[in-house]
Amino acid sequence: MSAPLLQAKGLSAGYGQAMVLRDVDVEVAPGQVAVVLGANGAGKTTLMRALAGLLPFSGELLIDGQAVRNSRPDKMVGHGVSLVPQGRGTMSALSVVDNLRAGAVSRRDRAGVEEDIERWFTTFPRLAERHEQPAGTLSGGEQQMLAIARALMSRPRLLLCDEISLGLAPRIVQELFETIAQINAEMGTALLLVEQNAALAMKIASSVYLLEVGEVVESGDARDFEQSESIRRVYLGY
Amino acid sequence: MDIFLTRLFAGMTAGSIYAMIALTLVIVFRSSATINFAQGEFALFTTYVSWWLTERGWNIWVTLIPAVVIGFVLCAAAERFLVRPVRRRDEAAVLIVGLALFTGLNGLSGTIWGSADKVYPRLVPVSVDSFLEIAGARLFYDSLFVMGALVAIVGGITLLMSRTNLGLQMRAVATNQESAGLCGIKVGRVFMISWGLAGAIGAVAAAILVPILPPGQLGLPGMFHMLIFGTVAAILGGLDSIKGAVVGGLSLGVGLAMINGYGSALGGSISLTVALVVVVAVLGLRPSGLFGSKRLERV
Repeated sequence: MSAPLLQAKGLSAGYGQAMVLRDVDVEVAPGQVAVVLGANGAGKTTLMRALAGLLPFSGELLIDGQAVRNSRPDKMVGHGVSLVPQGRGTMSALSVVDNLRAGAVSRRDRAGVEEDIERWFTTFPRLAERHEQPAGTLSGGEQQMLAIARALMSRPRLLLCDEISLGLAPRIVQELFETIAQINAEMGTALLLVEQNAALAMKIASSVYLLEVGEVVESGDARDFEQSESIRRVYLGY
Repeated sequence: MDIFLTRLFAGMTAGSIYAMIALTLVIVFRSSATINFAQGEFALFTTYVSWWLTERGWNIWVTLIPAVVIGFVLCAAAERFLVRPVRRRDEAAVLIVGLALFTGLNGLSGTIWGSADKVYPRLVPVSVDSFLEIAGARLFYDSLFVMGALVAIVGGITLLMSRTNLGLQMRAVATNQESAGLCGIKVGRVFMISWGLAGAIGAVAAAILVPILPPGQLGLPGMFHMLIFGTVAAILGGLDSIKGAVVGGLSLGVGLAMINGYGSALGGSISLTVALVVVVAVLGLRPSGLFGSKRLERV
């Protein structure tokens, strides 16, 4: 088996004195879809922020088997890791198309960037209609589409998605999940999803981590998890 | 009518200068959300360098090149090596660094060049008294030059912001720092370049304004008033808006010219008092200024 694209070993992180995440192991292989499930306050967002370089951590983080020190977000983008943050994080004063261009600043191939903008406009036609509008005037669903497209503009090998279903209508959530599953299938972009909408995430994930009060209490193959009665009841609610 | 026009022209001239200073403050504020109180002193220092070179026979225009370069490097270095390490520990302490730079740079200029006023040459070789007559009012060539310089500076900044990759990065950092980082933008570098850019613009602005403003000479306290009016203009326009800096500067200049002109019954120059009233009024009624962002957000 080849080296995992991303591997966290004994990762701990928090805010000041408050440790939110303790000794977490997470692994994502190239092209794989993994999901982290957990209740509110379990540390899901903290994990994503640490992995994206927004939060200092202790422990080990390996990209392609190479250790990465406490990092900055722009360096993680350089490593091919891109985050769709919780709350979307669109740059509200910038136009839709400028948000996408900003997402591509790490790239030098201008023609490729314009091609990708067209591509995401085809995927999300509503963004194309509003391409000159300031991102802050978009609806929640449109902003989430923009956040995903923006994160993809750096052509990441791994896309981290922090609760992309949050606050959106079920139909739009369904659409977004279909889109990212398609991106994973067509482009081979690995996905690490953090979700409360477990049922939906489990459908496209191949491996699952259960996070409870800052620790991974169980992990494994997604199919095995669906079989397990107790876990299904507790985390999937069906 | 001619008196009104004369006051309008004078106000626009002063306003253009306030706008230039306000622009430097806004460029810094947009990136790092700090008012750089030492901005005027950086400009004072580079103007001394420019003066010193003219004394050695350099053409005044040529001296602007090293002045701009030094302005850029000094401000960028101040951000990188003084402001940034302090900010990491304490946001409020950044203000103290600004004040320290303010007195430090002023003292440095004084130590190197002495406290006696210097005769700083004019960039445009026209007599102080030459003017165009428009409807009986005097429009001095000096005024035209200052307004032209403002147009050129604003035009340059607008092109930079809207057409270049660096401009896109600066706008991204201004609207959401964290997201800019997630885009792969080196936020620290954008901070540094923004400070440097403000320093470079300040160097040009100071070279233009020093010979025009009374006493028309280069002296240590020269920038203090300008910084106050520039700050008021920036607050009036909205601290993070380039358009606001221009509109704020011009309105402040024209407003003060009118009040000082027609309100002579109030006794002498009340510019500073009016400026203070403007700041209090803006902060009380419309804290984000005329054009400042109110955080456009829809959830």
